[in-house]
Amino acid sequence: MEIPYIVNARKDTGLFNSKIAIWLFLASEVMLFGGFFSAYIFLRLGADYPWPERTLPVLPGLINTFVLIGSSVTVVFAWAALKLHNWRQFQVYMGITIFCALLFMVLKAVEYNVKLHHQAVRLSDYSIIEGHLGYDKVEGKKIEKNRINLQLEQEATITYNVLRFHPAWVEQVLEEAKKAGVSIKLAADLKGEEKLSDEGKDYFKKDEPLTVELLNKVKDAHLAARSNNAVIKTEALREAWKVAKKAHPDQSDWEYSDNVSIDTEAIKPKLLTEFPSVSFSIDKSLALSFKPRDVKEGPTQSKLRDDTVINGKLVASPMVFENLDAIDFQYLVMKAEAKGIKPEVAIENSWLMQNSGFVREAWAWHEKEVEKLRLRLIKDYKRDENGKPNREPTHKEMYRMGWKDLKKYAEDTKDIKLSGVDKIKEEFMGPNYHARGQETFPSFEVPREQVGFAAKFTPAWNTYYAIYFTITGLHGLHVVGGAIVLAYYLFFGRKMYDENPEWLANRVEVGGLFWHFVDLVWIFVFPILYLM
Amino acid sequence: MANSVEEIQKSKKTYMIVFGGLLIGTIVTVLVATVEALDIGIHGFDKWDAILGLIIATAKATAVGLIFMHLNHEKKAIYWIFISALVLCAAMFALLFLAKYSPIWDNYFYR
Repeated sequence: MEIPYIVNARKDTGLFNSKIAIWLFLASEVMLFGGFFSAYIFLRLGADYPWPERTLPVLPGLINTFVLIGSSVTVVFAWAALKLHNWRQFQVYMGITIFCALLFMVLKAVEYNVKLHHQAVRLSDYSIIEGHLGYDKVEGKKIEKNRINLQLEQEATITYNVLRFHPAWVEQVLEEAKKAGVSIKLAADLKGEEKLSDEGKDYFKKDEPLTVELLNKVKDAHLAARSNNAVIKTEALREAWKVAKKAHPDQSDWEYSDNVSIDTEAIKPKLLTEFPSVSFSIDKSLALSFKPRDVKEGPTQSKLRDDTVINGKLVASPMVFENLDAIDFQYLVMKAEAKGIKPEVAIENSWLMQNSGFVREAWAWHEKEVEKLRLRLIKDYKRDENGKPNREPTHKEMYRMGWKDLKKYAEDTKDIKLSGVDKIKEEFMGPNYHARGQETFPSFEVPREQVGFAAKFTPAWNTYYAIYFTITGLHGLHVVGGAIVLAYYLFFGRKMYDENPEWLANRVEVGGLFWHFVDLVWIFVFPILYLM
Repeated sequence: MANSVEEIQKSKKTYMIVFGGLLIGTIVTVLVATVEALDIGIHGFDKWDAILGLIIATAKATAVGLIFMHLNHEKKAIYWIFISALVLCAAMFALLFLAKYSPIWDNYFYR
């Protein structure tokens, strides 16, 4: 069957099929991205923390803008080449377009990668430091120096929730125990065995070693007991209702419902023992460590995310930064000002200033720099008629030392210089810890009790990164999708070109329309996320 | 729609001009945001930077829409589709004004 209007336009609309289809699709896309941009405005206006202004590296974003705009031009040129029946030229322009898409995604990947490996921590007093965590290499695996360490003394217990326990974490504890030569055994007999024995359930004796299988068996026994008990309780309740109904024939249910209850003593012999949790003890002391996100730590008792309760002492578990690359008091100042405390006083009394010589020295230098900037702004832009300076340093300039400030501090005071290549690399990859070293970005330890909240620069850190990853991620998917379609025309379009070049030209035009739209979205994404 | 050889050759020239315009627009946006002497409004980011940035972005987007996407000489049906999408999009943004009547409004932003 021949499909109408794939080459020639319909008389009434003046359009061929795919043209109207792509515009309907683009209309829905306008609304999709519009929704995300309005979400951005909503999040920004409603943010209860200092919004990270102009925080992304501008150079990669700028290059990406050029790349996308360029590819938008080449895609219309590719279409024009097809219209002029020049296959060779079409190939060249379309090739450049796809190369641009790849380049865009590579730069995006670099940008994401830097974010996903960059650590931030908000201390209990709302000061923030950022940097790169240190690693321990254990059997070839990199383990972040950011663990919660627990010390379990002899006879300490680990209590598993039989329904929620995470097998991989049980295995992990067992492995640690095996290395330390510690055996983990059932702390006490699990009673109720005679009732389960007729169903062939196992009898759980004290000192049975911990295994995932054992936990699974206890879980099965628990579930069997629970469903058995549920049936008995329901039946007893049904009986109780029957009795109550007979006793109050003239009343409605709700009038006597308070008097309906089960005779718990009577059904007790029929009930089986449930084991919602099961405790294990250890025969020697044992050290365990967990990722901070997996455990809610306490001084003597900690709880894993799967409800496992560990009765072990919390030992020093600092967060160890190999390189510190930003000191940020903006949030602290915001909180202080809300309470009517002067920013300088709040900063002076912060944990960082009280406990770190490096922070104190760097901040003293920074305050001088801010003062210099303040004077220069007055000199360059004068004061208004009331004597108020026309321009003043921003909050960010006053209360944040980013990596570029720390870099300048080290260059000023310690005379550290970098080669041009390393400097350009920094514009893409962020601080060059390797080339600048500890002099500029020193190592730093945050005691666990000072950690208020910690995350990589992911959506977990704040709503800015949430909307950043949402919008750029969605846009990136559009780039990939568009590039696949355009690549299909480039590599598999020859046959169609030979048979019906106008049809291919129409298809490329439609693919190109989508590509322009992707460019158009980026035209807004770049200034909004990178420059505002 | 450009269909004859001459028309296509002519529109190629237009595309290059638009390309140049887009590059210049981008560079201006970046310079205004990064170079202190070109900064408008107060020192650092403020609403004037936002307004200027968005005006330039909108101008760029319009150029892409009109020239690259051929919206300067499209059929009626396309305009209907596109304009209704824009109207719905604007309605979505208008919902933000509801936030003015709830405590999330941040005066700090409009210093």
